[in-house]
Amino acid sequence: MKLSKEKLLSFYRTMQTIRLFENRISDLYARGTVPGLAHLYIGEEAVAAGVCGALRPDDFITSTHRGHGHVIAKGADLKPMMAELFGRRTGYCKGKGGSMHIADMNMGILGANGIAGGGLPIAVGAGWSAKWRGTDQVAACFFGDGASNNGTFHESLNLASLHKLPVIFVCENNKYGISVCQLKHQPIIDIATRATSYDMPGSVLDGNDVLEVYEAVVKAVRRARTGEGPTLLEFKTYRWRGHHEGDPNQGERYRTKEEITQWMEKCPIQRLAAKLVTKKIASRQALDAIDREITTAIDAAVEFATQSEFPALEEMYEDVYASEDMAK
Amino acid sequence: MREITYSQALNEALRICMTEDERVVLLGEDIGCYGGIFQVTKDLQTEFGPDRVVDTPISEAGFVGASVGAALTGMRPVTEIMFIDFTTVCMDMIINQMAKMHYMFGGKGKVPMVLRVNIGAGRGTAAQHSQSFHSIFMHVPGLCVAAPSTPYDAKGLLIEAVKNDNPVIFVEHKRLYNTRGMVPEESYRIPFGRAEVKRTGKDVTVFATHALVLSALEAAEEAARDGIDVEVIDPRTLAPLDKDTLIASVKKTGRLLVADEDNKTCGVAAEVSAIVAEDAIEYLKAPILRNCSPDTPVPFSPPLEKSFMFGKDRLLESVRRLMAYA
Amino acid sequence: MATEVVIPMLGVTIETGIIVEWLKKEGDQVKKGESLFVVEADKVVAEVESPASGLLAKILLPVGQKVPVLTVVAVITDPGESVPARYLSGAPAAAAAERMPSPVAAVPMTAPTALPAPGPVRAVPAARTLAREKGMDLSGIKGSGPAGVILHKDVAEAAAAPSVVVSHLARQASEKAGLPLGAIPGSGVRGRVMQADVARAAAEAAAPRLGKIIPMDRMRRIIARRMAESAFTAPHIHFFSDVGMDALLAFRGQILPEFETRLGLRPSVNDFLIKAAALAIRDYPLLNAIVKGEEIHILPEINVCLAVALPDGLITPAVSNADQCGLAEIVRLRADLVRRARAGALTVAELERGTFTISSLAQYDISHFTAILNPPQSAILSVGKTRDTIYLENGQVRSARMATLGLSVDHRIIDGTLAAEFLQTLKAYLEKPAFTFLHV
Ligand SMILES: Cc1ncc(C[n+]2csc(CCOP(=O)(O)OP(=O)(O)O)c2C)c(N)n1
Ligand SMILES: [Mg+2]
Repeated sequence: MKLSKEKLLSFYRTMQTIRLFENRISDLYARGTVPGLAHLYIGEEAVAAGVCGALRPDDFITSTHRGHGHVIAKGADLKPMMAELFGRRTGYCKGKGGSMHIADMNMGILGANGIAGGGLPIAVGAGWSAKWRGTDQVAACFFGDGASNNGTFHESLNLASLHKLPVIFVCENNKYGISVCQLKHQPIIDIATRATSYDMPGSVLDGNDVLEVYEAVVKAVRRARTGEGPTLLEFKTYRWRGHHEGDPNQGERYRTKEEITQWMEKCPIQRLAAKLVTKKIASRQALDAIDREITTAIDAAVEFATQSEFPALEEMYEDVYASEDMAK
Repeated sequence: MREITYSQALNEALRICMTEDERVVLLGEDIGCYGGIFQVTKDLQTEFGPDRVVDTPISEAGFVGASVGAALTGMRPVTEIMFIDFTTVCMDMIINQMAKMHYMFGGKGKVPMVLRVNIGAGRGTAAQHSQSFHSIFMHVPGLCVAAPSTPYDAKGLLIEAVKNDNPVIFVEHKRLYNTRGMVPEESYRIPFGRAEVKRTGKDVTVFATHALVLSALEAAEEAARDGIDVEVIDPRTLAPLDKDTLIASVKKTGRLLVADEDNKTCGVAAEVSAIVAEDAIEYLKAPILRNCSPDTPVPFSPPLEKSFMFGKDRLLESVRRLMAYA
Repeated sequence: MATEVVIPMLGVTIETGIIVEWLKKEGDQVKKGESLFVVEADKVVAEVESPASGLLAKILLPVGQKVPVLTVVAVITDPGESVPARYLSGAPAAAAAERMPSPVAAVPMTAPTALPAPGPVRAVPAARTLAREKGMDLSGIKGSGPAGVILHKDVAEAAAAPSVVVSHLARQASEKAGLPLGAIPGSGVRGRVMQADVARAAAEAAAPRLGKIIPMDRMRRIIARRMAESAFTAPHIHFFSDVGMDALLAFRGQILPEFETRLGLRPSVNDFLIKAAALAIRDYPLLNAIVKGEEIHILPEINVCLAVALPDGLITPAVSNADQCGLAEIVRLRADLVRRARAGALTVAELERGTFTISSLAQYDISHFTAILNPPQSAILSVGKTRDTIYLENGQVRSARMATLGLSVDHRIIDGTLAAEFLQTLKAYLEKPAFTFLHV
């Protein structure tokens, strides 16, 4: 697939935004500015960038507890995102949701999700809705290897295939569900093989190669938009950080330092950068300039969040119901 | 006796049960090398092996249902659900299967299993990881619901839960895991349905659950300085519920505050209030008050979450309100 | 569709009402025509029927609050219908203006006095229990808790204090009479105040004495207001005429045995007066008129009131369409009205529909008197004692029985000649009874 320079650079920009954003979160979390749980995506950026790079703004995604990357790639604004992580009223969820629940209906972001496997049926519903409404929108659904053991995975694949719904099942196989490595939580290596059971195409792909991700998703999207039904794509990847910030020594209870180092050598961003430089699509300096721009944007987001107010206490009672007259 | 934490006490109870009875197996997510998200199963996999301490896939309906099946056929599974919030994905297994079988099959077949869950907000984990809807299980006939507030109770109740032939929802509390208390080394059982009067008093009965027992005791100390004599009752199990101790106390004090962390509507506190209204209303010198969580999901933002939660101060305020009916 | 329940128009002069009792509660299913509540207005107590079948979804007016008639007091809804939001504020609403039927409603109404609803005694359960054990009545105990709620300790203190022992009925009676219980000597065991003691005290209290100040009760206040209003708005003129009663009394004597044996009725002189007056009104319809602003309304029905004295005042139920009734019918109606007036069982309509009034003091030694009009009526007939008189006829001294009838009229609409003609006609009707009462 021949891609334009802009497209290639946009992959770089997206991945680097995710990376630098999350590095900053890691730092802020350690200082207590970001409360709660922060599940970082560092190391897996190619999946989000490649998948969302193949979607239109009006397409849908459902995300997971590890969702910052997905929503940034789908176009979320760093300022309300940062504000949400800070628990401020200017955040995407008015401070009610936090890291695990970023949503932006205007961007087709149907929400990050605290329930492993919770997003799959919702993506099926969004695809079904597109079909009912007669649009050619598609829904991409991110979920982990761990979540693929939830019953919702099976029910969702079956439903989507049965009704030929425009859904792309994006499995991010990072080898672990918290501390449980894949070998211990399922008897298969390739989750994509399960596609056969539901009569849909399934492929195993390198989740650290954004171009490979992109190409596979473009195909799946084409299939979905033309009414041929869903696709299951499995991307092998790896999270560099612990399950969440605070997981002792980035998960030393269940994995080795060597394993982490090996995967860090396959950094998806460095891989793309090297390619861009060797193919003379961009110079190191040009990439550095992009990095500086991103850093400035993140600084601005932090500033925005810091300056924003916390919600007023009575706001706790707002939005429990969709119409205020339901509230007591 | 020595001082240990609530999670150590639970860990000890599990170790005792597994040592005494080879039918006891543990299932749950990340309970092996990780030791459980709150370290309750720490080192048990090393000690008893991965066959008896099983890290499960994220398949709650599957492994809770499997626990039911195993219990029905001679095992005694103790199964951990990481947060009470995730019991929702296996409610069928809990409410339609685990709770119903013994009755539905006319008394044939037992389900001697324990489902360990935890409740409590305060960790910034928002609406899907902070809930306290333990009252739901109290509502379902056939389930026992334990709710320990101290390390001592945690150990005694968990051992009882494992040895008990009924399905038990064992509700732990996130904020209690690191609290400390005196716990005997040996095995002991705390029978279900026996509340403990954690402090005697004659003016106000505070019926508190879980972490709020501790808040109630603190509030009682402070009220005592104003000459208000507070009695604190800890039900220890919500099902069966020790109505006698409750009623006896209300008859004595004539004033009742119920403190529970579930949402106010249809929660433990509503039930306890109704019991008193039915059985002892003529003794009441003041309205029954409830201190519960607001009827909203748990908000993420720290100031909101803080105001969602309550403790000693709120309880004390309510105690004073009751004493306006002196 | 939600149906509004209002305090109905209870008669042309009644402006306000008080609900004294709700016979149904919120949430009850009601049928059209079933009694919903009891309203008290001026001199009457009336049950008000449901205007529709459905759910009594919302009661807007509690008992004890005085409001203008036509105030919406409740809402009845159809199955599945919810109470329209405009009623949910809880305040009784003035009815929509277009629903006010008569010009009367345009008369400025007394604003509803915002009396707080008395409500039940508020006491904590333990206080109730203690009161029950001690046989004490909570209504006499003052609450010291939040919002005046009676506490356990209040009852305990009241129990410890030496207090008046009172029977339940006595307490009710004393509340009704407004007598402080402490002042009533008790004749029961251990000095318990009994109902009879309260009755005695009430009688003593009621007896007028020199130097005593008597607060007007409700009925007296109404009478006072209406009489003053009548005297000061309608210029009265008075006419008198002596009526020979021999023929009428003889006529009565003749028909009395038949009436008694055949019909079980006993016509009184008043019954003849009612009928004769009604016939005379037919001849002079202006006597059946009322003044409304700048208009004279001649009322369509001739409803003759008879003033009935009660221990605490006077009421005037009306025999309706008296001109069209035979004598027997009049006797029957009058007897029933008087009986029910004494029993306090008259309806609002019976009290309010009168168009002309007869007031008789014939049983006293009163030759004649003037009367004040019964508002808004324009004429009232006063009847003095029937007495023996002597008179000269062709130089011969003769005796006759005579009664002096007085007619007082509203001079705004009835002139002297008209009044005189009416009275002459009435006199003639009474003196020729055989003709007059031919229509049986
Ligand atoms: C139904 C449910 N069970 C358990 C959890 C707790 N939990 C949160 S993340 C996680 C692991 C998820 O693993 P995976 O799907 O592979 O995603 P990853 O964290 O590796 O990105 C678990 C068990 C949950 N959130 N939801
Ligand atoms: Mg994973």
